[in-house]
Amino acid sequence: MVNYLIAMLVTVGIYAVLALGLNVTWGMAGIANLGLAGFMAVGAYTTALVTKTFGFSIAAGMCLAVFASAALGILVSVGTLRLRGDYLAIVTLGFAEIVRLIASNETWLTNGTDGIAGISGPWRGQLSPVQFNWVYLGVTAALLAVSLLVCQLLARAPYGRVLRAIRDDETLVSVAGKSTFRFKLQAMAIGAGIMGLGGAMYAHYISYISPDVFRSLISLYIFLALTVGGTGNNYGALFGSLVLIALLEGSRFVFATVPAINAVQLAAAREMLIGLGLLLVLRFAPEGLIPERPKIFTRAATDITPRN
Amino acid sequence: MLVSSSSRLISRRHLLGASVLGGLSVAILPRMAFAEGNGPIPIGTLTPLTGAGANYGGRMRDAVAGVVAAVNEQGGIIGRQIKLISEDDQTNPEAGVRAARKLIDVDRVAAIMGVWASAVTTAVAPLCWESGTALFCTSGADSITRLPHKGFIFRTEPGSELQAEQVTVFMLGEGARRLAYMGPQTPFTEPSIQRMTKVATAAGAEVASIIYESEKASYRSEVDKILASKPEFIFFGGYAPDTVVLVKDLYKAGYEGRVVGPSYVIDAEFLKTVPNEATEGAYVYYTATSNETGAVDRIKSILKIDQPDAYTCQTYDHANLALLAMAAAKEASGTAIRDNLRKISQGDGEKVGFASDGARLLEEGKKINYEGASGPCDFNEIGDVTSTVTSFNVVKGGELLPYK
Repeated sequence: MVNYLIAMLVTVGIYAVLALGLNVTWGMAGIANLGLAGFMAVGAYTTALVTKTFGFSIAAGMCLAVFASAALGILVSVGTLRLRGDYLAIVTLGFAEIVRLIASNETWLTNGTDGIAGISGPWRGQLSPVQFNWVYLGVTAALLAVSLLVCQLLARAPYGRVLRAIRDDETLVSVAGKSTFRFKLQAMAIGAGIMGLGGAMYAHYISYISPDVFRSLISLYIFLALTVGGTGNNYGALFGSLVLIALLEGSRFVFATVPAINAVQLAAAREMLIGLGLLLVLRFAPEGLIPERPKIFTRAATDITPRN
Repeated sequence: MLVSSSSRLISRRHLLGASVLGGLSVAILPRMAFAEGNGPIPIGTLTPLTGAGANYGGRMRDAVAGVVAAVNEQGGIIGRQIKLISEDDQTNPEAGVRAARKLIDVDRVAAIMGVWASAVTTAVAPLCWESGTALFCTSGADSITRLPHKGFIFRTEPGSELQAEQVTVFMLGEGARRLAYMGPQTPFTEPSIQRMTKVATAAGAEVASIIYESEKASYRSEVDKILASKPEFIFFGGYAPDTVVLVKDLYKAGYEGRVVGPSYVIDAEFLKTVPNEATEGAYVYYTATSNETGAVDRIKSILKIDQPDAYTCQTYDHANLALLAMAAAKEASGTAIRDNLRKISQGDGEKVGFASDGARLLEEGKKINYEGASGPCDFNEIGDVTSTVTSFNVVKGGELLPYK
């Protein structure tokens, strides 16, 4: 039981890192980026290939994963960032599918749909499964803390203000003399890098990756986590991931106590529950459970008298 | 003002977090009691109930549930009742791993059965061999049993490469010289095409192949491309949802050659979906199904269906094999299943097709040999079933008739 809870906390941590990356692009800069699964895949495959084929250390693999995803983030952005809203969303969704199809079909590089098994984990093999779980929880917590720190510094810096301004009114920001394209490009790179880290964390934990992992389901889950937690708020990304896993996993136990429904109905009910949860949050707390700005703060803002 | 607002924020966050975790643990705690001791023996299914495999997963799970109910009615195994816990792998390795964690760490199941997608099986396999849980799968990838699984994996789907070879021999035997393979990208696609090409080339025949994307609404361009090679016989390597579309598109394109596909694709359900004109004369190959021990009849009565598909038959066998291995070991654990499975699945013992019958014979000190719904269920040293393609049917007027 303890082992299961640790494993789920690790999953929460990985989801939270992914949600933080999404928060930089979507939450802060307002870029509708549905390509999360693609960037995650690039991160996971990069570290898996360099640690398995070239014998790199896990830390080096993870660093390379961040750089590879960030670089791809820039590459994708150059051609697409001038698109707005829905159009960009479609293009990034397509990008994620392209990554998955390349992973499926370029067998010489990615081993195709067989996937890559036996990816190393920190001290895996020398530790018992339970010990490894604990160690990885520590690794996850540390990496999550670093990601959170970076995102918080970014959000509080003038830089973060520019990103939020772009999100709220891009034209206004360009009138103010900022190159919105450059800022958005950088936000994509940072966000994609963090998503790549999330992918690398997943690969070293589960030890197996295949193209099927990176279907749009995971993008959807992370979007859900961020929306429920509070788009634009880094703590919202964290909390949303916790709520999502609690819903996904908790529903197994709750539904199991209902005798009238069978396993097939239960599986469908779980999916409905997730959708229902999202609807309820959007209806009653449209800014998420931890809104970007607390209500009390907005009220206070109107009282501020200009400083001399 | 700012400070007070942020401290309120944190306290609310803590409250919410605590309530979520609290709710979860309250839901979990009462179930812990089942896990060990002399209570029911927990076993689990991890079939695809949603996602691409949902077409098969529900029946697979129900077949296991039927076996468990029947065995419990007859007093269980080694004096203990069986408790079945079913989880959904969502046909997704990430979701599958979370579900497997729950089965292994919370429910402490002795065996996980009915894992379908190769990617899910490969993803959950390390969890199983590290925790000593037996893993029964119906996956097609020959790479699965080559993992360092310490004997915990049992695969009831016959080797894909061998199936491809036998079907190729069949097509050549029917006089075809220009063959084609059409299938989605799966772990067994490339090896199957390679084996097919090797066999065909040796006989002086040609092979054209196309690997398509599995979730398309139309395969017209793929069909046009394959028809350009003027094939006389096409081998379907996909699953029911994509093959339904493919067969219709081939018919519309005016293809007049022959086709062959596996029984888990072209079954009664498939023939109901596709118009008879499009399926007329299609060949269907079977991997060792036998009703020698009445196993198939039992599935029919459990599920109330006429023709159980290959995966349902295999999962029925998973449940019986796992229970019999534990009965032979007089111990309920994954290691007991691993160490005793071959003692009840093969050899010259009395043939049985249902766990309770076998358990009774074991108690009398007799040797048994389980012969299931999906075939003889004999396993080699790496956990692969040794069955191969045994027979071919042909479709006439929407009905399956024996051919070879």
